[in-house]
Amino acid sequence: MFQNRAEALALALPAAIFAAAVFLVPVLILLSEGFRSAAVDGAAGGGWTLSAFTEFFSSSLNRTVFLRTLRLGAIVTVVSAVIGYAAAFAIVSLKPSTKGKITGLVVLPLMISPVARTYAWIVILGRTGIVNQAFQALGISEAPLRILFSETAIFIGLLQLFLPLMIISLISALENMPKDAIAAARVLGANWFQVFWKVILPLTREGLVIGGTLVFTGSLTAYITPAILGGSKVLMLETLMYQQVSVSNNFVSASVIAFILIVMSFAANILLKRVATARNRVRTEARGTQ
Amino acid sequence: MTARNFFIPVTLFLVIAFLIGPFLIIVAASFSAGETLAFPPQGFSLRWIAKVFTVESFRASFAMSLFLAIGGTAVALMLGIPASYALSRYKLPGAEVIRTVVSAPIIVPGIIVGLALLRYIVVPFGVGITPALFLAHTALVLPYAVRVVSASLDNLRSDIEEAAVLLGSSRLGAFFRVVMPNIRGGILSAFILGFVTSFNQVPVSLFLSGPGVRTLPVDMIAYMEIVFDPSVAALSSLLAFLSIGIVFAAERFLGFSRYV
Repeated sequence: MFQNRAEALALALPAAIFAAAVFLVPVLILLSEGFRSAAVDGAAGGGWTLSAFTEFFSSSLNRTVFLRTLRLGAIVTVVSAVIGYAAAFAIVSLKPSTKGKITGLVVLPLMISPVARTYAWIVILGRTGIVNQAFQALGISEAPLRILFSETAIFIGLLQLFLPLMIISLISALENMPKDAIAAARVLGANWFQVFWKVILPLTREGLVIGGTLVFTGSLTAYITPAILGGSKVLMLETLMYQQVSVSNNFVSASVIAFILIVMSFAANILLKRVATARNRVRTEARGTQ
Repeated sequence: MTARNFFIPVTLFLVIAFLIGPFLIIVAASFSAGETLAFPPQGFSLRWIAKVFTVESFRASFAMSLFLAIGGTAVALMLGIPASYALSRYKLPGAEVIRTVVSAPIIVPGIIVGLALLRYIVVPFGVGITPALFLAHTALVLPYAVRVVSASLDNLRSDIEEAAVLLGSSRLGAFFRVVMPNIRGGILSAFILGFVTSFNQVPVSLFLSGPGVRTLPVDMIAYMEIVFDPSVAALSSLLAFLSIGIVFAAERFLGFSRYV
């Protein structure tokens, strides 16, 4: 550890000042705009008000978009957790050499541009896409179904985008689990359902929370997926924000959406930190007893 | 055991088909000879791959994205390396505050960063479109630069540079001759991570893009809303192979995944 304070500040401050000027201050002003009566009601003076928020939630379109964003975030998180456990469990039980290759395949999509990954679903889910061709060939439906530009399409796109993050988090959680815990529970007479609820889930909770936070905040703040797969009708908060600014010039409403998005992202991140520190405490205590 | 032997391959097949399948379909569709985007592709041709290189806006926006990704990441590293060094090697007053400020852009959704920058920096100070995009992409990459460089600094014993200083080297000399050679892999990994993040970024650039000045992914979204031909598929495949190639090379030569 070097002690020279002036030297340390000279090294660290350029980055901090840059981030503060380009990012922190503008974002804070933007957030405060949603509470300023001068900006919201056109009133003179610098008072504060919540009327932008009440007005935002008084619109049924805004409420629909807000609830849809929360709902999609929650469903994508739950479904990716269910699939993630199955996939991570299967991967962990592989031979080490195969395990590396399969994990590589799971991570591979993360390196591909989200625009490209989302665009693929247009080919698959479109009116003449593979799904509709298959449905018509099998006689499930006569006319092509409208899957694109719906909540279902956004759900599929988000799930594909974020599932790898959940799987990776669960793989490392399962690998850190004591090897004989499952065998011990089985010997003691637990069925697979009990093994999952009473043994695997508590021991991998931390990985589940990390993966869940990544998937949930990723889905809440997604722009590309709803923009491409939801069209102009099925909006999520970010595409609504873009419309409010570029179509209606409504900056106050954009500030309100920004505030909602940031509060939700921060809440999820604080939860993540909580779980991480709780884990460290448990580890230190365990070490102390040895 | 038989249930398990059945469960594992089936699960893995389904999950990987879901994750990779769409990408393979895009690759197949980009070799189509037909006029519209379709799968299975109609015939085989390289016309859409060739067309990508002739679309003027793709060329311009590709150059812009490349410039932002390389330049923005380089500047982020120039800011981030000294900051990481100060945070890991010095007793710094307010270290936690500095760390939080520097890594905050990762938590805040890009679209908010873009809008805030547009309203309170770009418009009031009359910043041009290109410098504005540059600022935004640099701020976006900075947290990754600090995180990856910090991680490789924390893995390096700090007594070797203290030894160098004790033996008469200047602090700066010790950094460049002792620390830098040891964290080169981390810096290169930070560069690659920053490059890929910046290159694929959409929301930050949405509001900051102007007529004729766009990043490549924003341009692709605009194009696919108007034209329904396989050229975006062809471009997507090319970009995907490019970034997979970069990351594979990085993994092979640097052990990229150790740092990220």
